[in-house]
Amino acid sequence: MSLTERSQSLLKRNLTLEDTLPTRMPVYVNSVAYLFGAGSLVGFLMLILTGLVMTIFGPNWYHYSATGHFVNSLHFWSTQIFFVALLLHLVVKFVMAAWRDKRFKTWIFGILSFAVLIFTGLTGFLLQSSWDSQWIAVQAKDAMNAIGIGAWFNTANVGQMLTLHIALLPVLGAILVGVHLFFVRRDSPVKPLSRSGRRHES
Amino acid sequence: MSLRSDEYQKGVPQKSYDLIREVLLVLLGVVIIVVVLAAVFGSPDYPTVRGEDVATKQPIAFEKTTVGILAGDSSLQEYGPPYTNNNENAQRLWGVAPATWFGVTLPIDATQDLVIKPLERVALLRSDVAQALQQYQQAPDTQKDAWNQAYTGALDNATYSNGHVLVAAGDYGPVPVMMDGMLALAKAGLLEGALQKNGQLPYALDSTLPLVYFEDDVDHNVAESLNMLGSQWGLIHETGRFPGAWWLWSYSFFYQIPPMNSSANGDLEVGVIMIALFLILLFLPIIPGLNRIPRGIRLYRLIWRDWYRKPPAG
Repeated sequence: MSLTERSQSLLKRNLTLEDTLPTRMPVYVNSVAYLFGAGSLVGFLMLILTGLVMTIFGPNWYHYSATGHFVNSLHFWSTQIFFVALLLHLVVKFVMAAWRDKRFKTWIFGILSFAVLIFTGLTGFLLQSSWDSQWIAVQAKDAMNAIGIGAWFNTANVGQMLTLHIALLPVLGAILVGVHLFFVRRDSPVKPLSRSGRRHES
Repeated sequence: MSLRSDEYQKGVPQKSYDLIREVLLVLLGVVIIVVVLAAVFGSPDYPTVRGEDVATKQPIAFEKTTVGILAGDSSLQEYGPPYTNNNENAQRLWGVAPATWFGVTLPIDATQDLVIKPLERVALLRSDVAQALQQYQQAPDTQKDAWNQAYTGALDNATYSNGHVLVAAGDYGPVPVMMDGMLALAKAGLLEGALQKNGQLPYALDSTLPLVYFEDDVDHNVAESLNMLGSQWGLIHETGRFPGAWWLWSYSFFYQIPPMNSSANGDLEVGVIMIALFLILLFLPIIPGLNRIPRGIRLYRLIWRDWYRKPPAG
């Protein structure tokens, strides 16, 4: 079997077009609680789009340009909305015990994404080139040094924070989110627990 | 559906669904919320604390900071890794000090890097500073300590007049001239530039030295006035009316309670707690007891209430 045939077979077994762009959904998927995942995904998309605009003009743009300040504000509030949606998504998946029926990997990659995106957020706060970033840099350095990662993660090194924030961390986050979504779509939404919580109904 | 999801969903009634429509609607909702929040509230942009500002508005505080660094009293002087080799000062828990694992990767000699080296540049412009610096460097350490201590004490009753900090007469050696040189450097707006590592100029991408210069008293006073100290849950809000990294409230929380709120190893203790909590969250699905919590609190009944109301036949 060729590599292409193997890839086709893998996709047929794990991720068909119907999984990628579903036109049907189990009837139990019927609550706003299911929207928080999409909300965090859209928040992430907004962060990437507004972030890309800012990469054109650089991190100091917002200090001297009204347009830059507005784009920075869009980025700032996208961060807030993103984390609101992400935490609600996490809470909802927890109360649903959504790791059941062999969905542990989905949970693992979701939590790993969460961790990486928290660090992405931290590097973003450190890039504001304002008093806030100045204060966070000197405070956070002690925390990073204490746990040993300050040796190669210097919160006061704005060049390093910039490259981490706009390249490594978002790319890593996007990969982890991508793997998370692959498992989400491959496995389909987990079935409801029984009313008593013992086992799912099917 | 894929073979896997087909098998899993066997017998479960399906409904018509439009993923792209749903995502677009969510996108529209998020865009509207974000645009309104950005237009109404903007985003924080509180000015930085610069040497020029401190030297101009608080010249005595500036000299106190500077003579403190010169005297070796700054928190950086014997910080430990990654800045100095004082391993004994690294935070440790149960005898383990993670800060020492990688050694001194960002060497900083506070006295030299933050005061003496900038003064060497000032000395090229001012002969009085050059003479003072030479006198200071040739003096024995005990004499330096005596001058620094005397001048630090004198600053408590100092006044500011005609652009200079004035202290009562005393034996301060060359220290007042050196401090006046640093004050002039900062007032000219050149302090941060003088603190940059020469090797990388004109590219100044690493702000470590300019950022740590005021990190002790000056930054803490500013932070306290803005309600941003660690003990004031500083991490989770920004200046003014803006939220910060509120999602790290649990991280901030552990700094508010004993023993972390008064421990010399507080950062490490909180760090270890957070790593432990992260691992618990990561492996929660396979931790007995914790993975039963959803069944205990039964909030899922709210999410799947329609399903429970009309369960499918069979």
